[in-house]
Amino acid sequence: MMDALIVSNVVLWILVIALSATVLALLRQIGVLHERVAPAGALIVRGGPAVGEVAPVLELEDWSGAKRRVGAPDTEGRSTLLFFLSPSCPLCKMLLPVLESVAAAEGRWLRVLLASAGPRAEHEAFVRHHGLERRGYVLSEQLGLAYRVGKLPYAVLIDEAGVVRASGLVNSREHLESLFEAKERGAASIQAYLADRGGERRVA
Amino acid sequence: MAPFALDPALHAILRLALALLFLGASRHKLRDLAGFRGALAGYAILPERATGPAAAGLAAAELGVGVGLLLPGSAFASAVAAAALLSIYSGAIALGLLRGRRHIDCGCAGPGGGRPLSEGLVARNAVLIAAAALCALPVGTRPLVWIDAVSAVGGLAALALLYGAIDVGLANGARLRELRGRA
Repeated sequence: MMDALIVSNVVLWILVIALSATVLALLRQIGVLHERVAPAGALIVRGGPAVGEVAPVLELEDWSGAKRRVGAPDTEGRSTLLFFLSPSCPLCKMLLPVLESVAAAEGRWLRVLLASAGPRAEHEAFVRHHGLERRGYVLSEQLGLAYRVGKLPYAVLIDEAGVVRASGLVNSREHLESLFEAKERGAASIQAYLADRGGERRVA
Repeated sequence: MAPFALDPALHAILRLALALLFLGASRHKLRDLAGFRGALAGYAILPERATGPAAAGLAAAELGVGVGLLLPGSAFASAVAAAALLSIYSGAIALGLLRGRRHIDCGCAGPGGGRPLSEGLVARNAVLIAAAALCALPVGTRPLVWIDAVSAVGGLAALALLYGAIDVGLANGARLRELRGRA
């Protein structure tokens, strides 16, 4: 009798552990699914200045204390990519190298400006670790409010005349490039461009 | 013998599990103290210059609780300290939720594993506080036999896997809310 109970106890422990491991594996798979279902075209979020509108001009100080007129017409004739991010957003970190390469490749006509909000202490380690101070990093609640940024990472493309050319939620290099494409083609977004062509194709 | 005595095998499982939890938590905090400091600053409860010492203090306290739970002499005091620490965290999370600071990193998942605040975190901490309280109860005097070792290994493995599953589940819940909010 005692032997039978011991055997049953050991068998039950093995089953409990196997079941717990299965639950963990299933939940991890759900996590992977969540990553896969993220929208694939830079998604436009309602609100904020529409494409074709003049960008709001804000006088802000960047990380090093230099004054910047964000949204104003550019004296050097370059466009500005405003990239909204946060140290607590893993996707933003993943996109930093992409931003670096975009800034290098499109540097002729484009400057990249990183924007975030919150107390400076939250950003100190993040900025230092990724060497973001030379890129231009502004901390401003106002800026996020002006563009109605609800989801991160979010990007706004402002042309040399200070007009919003494209904006949206960006999760990958393709999304970022879709903003440049939208500017070149004069469409508000890839979705709008495809809709114009009467395409039934869904990007997302 | 005290009227309410916890079985020594259960006591050992809870103590080891809590010790592992606190040692793991202090390890990831000590490895990325700057990140934890940032998370603390996100709660906006302490003045900004106090976040540095507070982050180091909490990480050291977690390490102390983890080691203390492993040593037989300090198990009771450490279990009480564990419940106190968890209560402080729950209080901070609940306060964050009440103030609508849902998006901030909870600082509880280690570097690279940012988790927003949620009611689920408070519920999970409540279970952990109950475990710490059980651990502080007087222990019975039944002699331990070899089958208790099977229970201890099995229990620890199952608890660790379930804790991991709850952690992933909380992260998925946050992503699901974000997905719903986006539509």
